[in-house]
Amino acid sequence: MWPLVLLAAGAGAHADESSFDVSQFEKKPFELNGYAELKSENFALNPDAALYKLNYYGQPQRESLTRATETLELAGKLRHDIATFDFRTHSAFQQDQLGHDQSNKFYEAALSLRPRSDLTLEAGKRALSWGKGYAFNPIGFVQRPKDPNDPQLAREGYVMADGDFIWNPGGALQTLAFTPVLLPSTSDVNSDFGASSHLNPALKVYALYRDTDIDFAWQGKGSRPARFGFDFARNLKTNFEIHGEWARILGAVKPVTDAMGNVTIEVSNATSYLLGLRYLSEASTTYIAEVYHNGTGYSDAQAGEFYQLVDNAFAQPQPNLLLQKALALGQTSYGRPFAGENYVYFRAQQQDAFGIVYFQPSVFAMLNLDDHSFQATPELLYTGIKNLDLRLRLYLLHGETSTDFGEKPNSRKLELYARYYF
Amino acid sequence: MKLRIPLILLGFLLLSSPAFALDGQKILQQVDRNLEPESYESYRKLIDIQPDGTRKEYVLWTAKKGRDKVVGLFLSPASDKGRVTLRLGENMWLYMPSVGKPIRITSLQSVTGSVFNNADILRIDYTAEYDVEGAEEQNDQYLLALKAKTGDVAYDRLKMWVDKRHLLPVTIECYAASGLLLKTLHFKDIKDFGGGIKRPAQLETDSPLYKGYKSVMLWSGLKKASFPDEVFTLNYLPRIEELRK
Repeated sequence: MWPLVLLAAGAGAHADESSFDVSQFEKKPFELNGYAELKSENFALNPDAALYKLNYYGQPQRESLTRATETLELAGKLRHDIATFDFRTHSAFQQDQLGHDQSNKFYEAALSLRPRSDLTLEAGKRALSWGKGYAFNPIGFVQRPKDPNDPQLAREGYVMADGDFIWNPGGALQTLAFTPVLLPSTSDVNSDFGASSHLNPALKVYALYRDTDIDFAWQGKGSRPARFGFDFARNLKTNFEIHGEWARILGAVKPVTDAMGNVTIEVSNATSYLLGLRYLSEASTTYIAEVYHNGTGYSDAQAGEFYQLVDNAFAQPQPNLLLQKALALGQTSYGRPFAGENYVYFRAQQQDAFGIVYFQPSVFAMLNLDDHSFQATPELLYTGIKNLDLRLRLYLLHGETSTDFGEKPNSRKLELYARYYF
Repeated sequence: MKLRIPLILLGFLLLSSPAFALDGQKILQQVDRNLEPESYESYRKLIDIQPDGTRKEYVLWTAKKGRDKVVGLFLSPASDKGRVTLRLGENMWLYMPSVGKPIRITSLQSVTGSVFNNADILRIDYTAEYDVEGAEEQNDQYLLALKAKTGDVAYDRLKMWVDKRHLLPVTIECYAASGLLLKTLHFKDIKDFGGGIKRPAQLETDSPLYKGYKSVMLWSGLKKASFPDEVFTLNYLPRIEELRK
């Protein structure tokens, strides 16, 4: 009897490995997926830094901050014939010693119609992603800036109507695709894109030509100055990829202040560009390097004037007019990430390090080439447990006073998150 | 006796003529068509088995057209659901829904982190990538020696043992240009998928570079299918899921 039982058990185990039931993966008319994340951040603050003074104005001075964030992101699809409605929501609850904050947003919610295989029409809130750069995208005309610390995170889109027409000529020109976009801005819709009452037409043309990805992008004058550009990406060897972007903004507006808060508005044609490469070594180490010039960025001297303005504002009794100007400038132009002119981004990640499968340590760094300040971030990522990502990061910022990374609100940050997918 | 010598000589002439030499290229072409129709769709499960017995499984739906156009959509696990990989010849891309745009990847990487790399997961016709350098008979199998047509192909050389009766691969050894054995593929469990498709439903691989690890690929629902060219383009990747019936 026992030999038969053992034989049956063995046969069952073999059957599990030799076949699988496809029926559980049939396409359904409605799908819902997403992830839940718990994140803990511990900031070592930099009370002498200009952006600390502005961001924490009115708060008791502190040396550190501990923050917990719970995030739930849901992605759903509803299908019927040639139509699909898809959405992505993002809900976050954040708590630290200063208080708590909650946000619930639709990152995307759009209806797509596919009357033919080569034609798609969409309307709704959509997060387009133009550009080949990993950390920076000069031709990202119709999207929100990405966070170079987490370039692969989903971002909130804009309300728009867009289309996609694909053509395969054959031969050297393997693919040609047209993506027209209308991004209307009113007081209620896309108000953060720029001035209201504009249709903001844009267009991207993609070509796969002789194994090279090439995009041409254009955005018409409207809520923002007109701009155009291109990008490319190509494998020089199987394990070596090169990519780049170039963009010009016609009549870019840049507020420039002096140390006494006298602001002049510079209007000029601004050119931004990026050149990057990605290399996979025989040891399965991936290297990514990008050089980025921000045509709308502040020079070393211009940034220095702003930092001096902040010092001058806080040297006087508060509140004062200088402080109001510094706060306004810090929340927009001078306080945005990568407000400088020239940067280098570098990342190295090792797959299955030390023979531990699904363990991926990495390090990335961002350097301001003009003032030599930088941020270095070692990271440990483990994905060996089904549907669970565990990540530990240490952000280390270094720079003298009046430098990009030297004037950030914090000098270090330790971050740990657990993300569960369902 | 007088007649025997000319007959023997005639026999030698016939045996050495091209009509009787092995046509490795034809064998390889038949292997390609016996493994899959030129255009098809299928479901596959990839199982990574670690030395301690821990398993990680992926399920993907694949569509192929012609000799070198393949697209793969990940259906499971949830952390990878919605990811799409596209291959056009030696160009490969990975699309992640959260990122919203495809990035170029290499054939030697593995989007699943397993012993199977992207070239194994998005396999195109062997005749598209390899030339036959030699062919010989070994009992009930043929042994084909294959050389990559370009330096962009994942494996520089293959040794392919082909079952004579079914004209299907049994074992393939994959070598780097240095001569290093990178991995061995074992085809098992011939099944009838219907529509004239009868092929191994299971592929196991092991590698001297990953001692103790094993990866298994299982096929299901393999059938002929036709797809328009625009499916195999970067712009279509966000909508690949809608192709499944």
